[in-house]
Amino acid sequence: MTNHEELLVGAVAYSANVVPIWEGIRDFFRDSSTPTDFVLFSNYERQVDALLAGHIDIAWNTNVAWVRTLRRTGGTARALATRDTDLVFRTLMVGRAGSGLDGLGSLEGRRVALGSRDSGQARILPEFFMARAGVPVSAVELTVFDSDVGKHGDTGRSDLDALRAVLDDDADVAAVGINTWQALTAAGDDTVVDLDVVWESEPYSHCNFTALDSLDHDRAERWVTNLQGMDWDDPEHRRVLELEGLRRWERPVLSGYDSLIAAMDAQGISECW
Amino acid sequence: MTLVETVGAVPAGSSTRVPVSGPNDVETVRRWTAATGNTVLMVHPDSVEVLRGRADDPVRALSADRRPGYRLWVYTNFHCNLSCDYCCVSSSPTAEPRVIGVEEFVRLVDEAAAAGVAELFVTGGEPFMLLDIDDRLRHASGVMPTTVLTNAMVWTGARRRRLEALPRRGLTLQISLDSATAELHDRHRGSGSFERAMTGVRVAIDLGFRVRVAATLGADAGDSERELMALLDELGLDDDQRVVRRVARQGAANAGLTVSRASLLPEVCVTAEGVWWHPVAAADPAMKVADDWHPLAETIHKVRDEYRAHRIAGDVLASTFPCA
Repeated sequence: MTNHEELLVGAVAYSANVVPIWEGIRDFFRDSSTPTDFVLFSNYERQVDALLAGHIDIAWNTNVAWVRTLRRTGGTARALATRDTDLVFRTLMVGRAGSGLDGLGSLEGRRVALGSRDSGQARILPEFFMARAGVPVSAVELTVFDSDVGKHGDTGRSDLDALRAVLDDDADVAAVGINTWQALTAAGDDTVVDLDVVWESEPYSHCNFTALDSLDHDRAERWVTNLQGMDWDDPEHRRVLELEGLRRWERPVLSGYDSLIAAMDAQGISECW
Repeated sequence: MTLVETVGAVPAGSSTRVPVSGPNDVETVRRWTAATGNTVLMVHPDSVEVLRGRADDPVRALSADRRPGYRLWVYTNFHCNLSCDYCCVSSSPTAEPRVIGVEEFVRLVDEAAAAGVAELFVTGGEPFMLLDIDDRLRHASGVMPTTVLTNAMVWTGARRRRLEALPRRGLTLQISLDSATAELHDRHRGSGSFERAMTGVRVAIDLGFRVRVAATLGADAGDSERELMALLDELGLDDDQRVVRRVARQGAANAGLTVSRASLLPEVCVTAEGVWWHPVAAADPAMKVADDWHPLAETIHKVRDEYRAHRIAGDVLASTFPCA
């Protein structure tokens, strides 16, 4: 536990936007009943270590970092809050429009590009869903892009590298997180019109604010209640919410992590790298 | 001042538009970005899009053999003995021939070599429909490694004799063969074409040519690729003597992969009507780069610049992703 009056939240610096996001959240909490400050980490492994060591009170974790924290605490870690968008996260398989590919079953023998080995959306879950559909990675011609390892796919870099492989005819399909796809389509990227979604996963849960069981439960509850006071219709709040990619902070749905837990078990992914 | 404030407020890897009111302003922005480690992405009528920081050159990031201008494609003609239903340029016996004559072809190849082109691909139509295609191929293969795409079905009479006289060194015959049996191949390329193509493959191998087999597969191909690979094993063709590509929705094809300048890695392609982004779309007006191939080096640079702008813009988008 930290000894400060302020709750200390850890986040990973995956892009320059992280600074204005967390300065905005810190300012939002300034006059609340749960003043909050933040520290940034270079990767999720270091952040999870800091949470377990009591250097931070709360960690803004990816789904992979959450599962690792859960394992390392014997299942006692708590998920406090999540983005609305984290409750309906999906992985998509995207190929060139007109490819005729449809569903995971159609990928057998084809060239599949996956992202970073520590990305739930770009690698771990696509491999899991493929195996479950009877098309394990051994049944395809696999290309992987281990870009920005340590960031758990946050930068979107490996999604883009995989998509680029499709455009350059080095792959037939690429696995991408729905956030990457939506960002490309929303931005009107002119390459997107030549791409098409071949398959879409079931929804699963993504990031959450993780705390150890030792964090005072009342204090944590007040912090979450305050956090949920961020209002999309308030221009100051909205600036932060838009940068962070949500409209509302929600309570986590833990069953949404079941597929990732099963995937990490099946693939023998260790508790830390 | 506006320039410094506008660009200075943007994080590295993101872009912003700096307002300009004429060529002098544009030049000022260019000089400033060059001196301060920033990058001009695009010049718009009333603004210049500037990337904060230096952008990695996407062209340099490609392996040498994939950089635009490494390969040059030339459509010597557009008429063909076949009317394949997926032909990306709608070639057929009745197609307007649009021939690049021997003299112009020779000039083009020489200029290509001077522009740094390292490999030539000659295609059509069916190039061997031209009785004097051998003159072109003899010159080209003496200048740089040359591949000619063919259906291998017209090598009879004088054409056969001219084929036999072609050099083996520096020349590859890339023969179209879509499947290991007639059914799929003939469905798209015409009845009896499989047997004649197979005969052509064997003739080319027996004559000592370097042969590559290229299959064009559509949505109905199923797992035919596996059988085709087994056949190519039997013919003794190595991995680098096999090409499998998917049908593109271009020309006669009413289904297939969608392509555009923004999404396709360019391979500069010359026809009698001008220069195109890629040979798979050499009849698509949206893919036309220039009306005239000369000067070729300048045209290649133009293609590289456009590709560079597409790629950098895509990478800038990456930095805007709302993630965790």
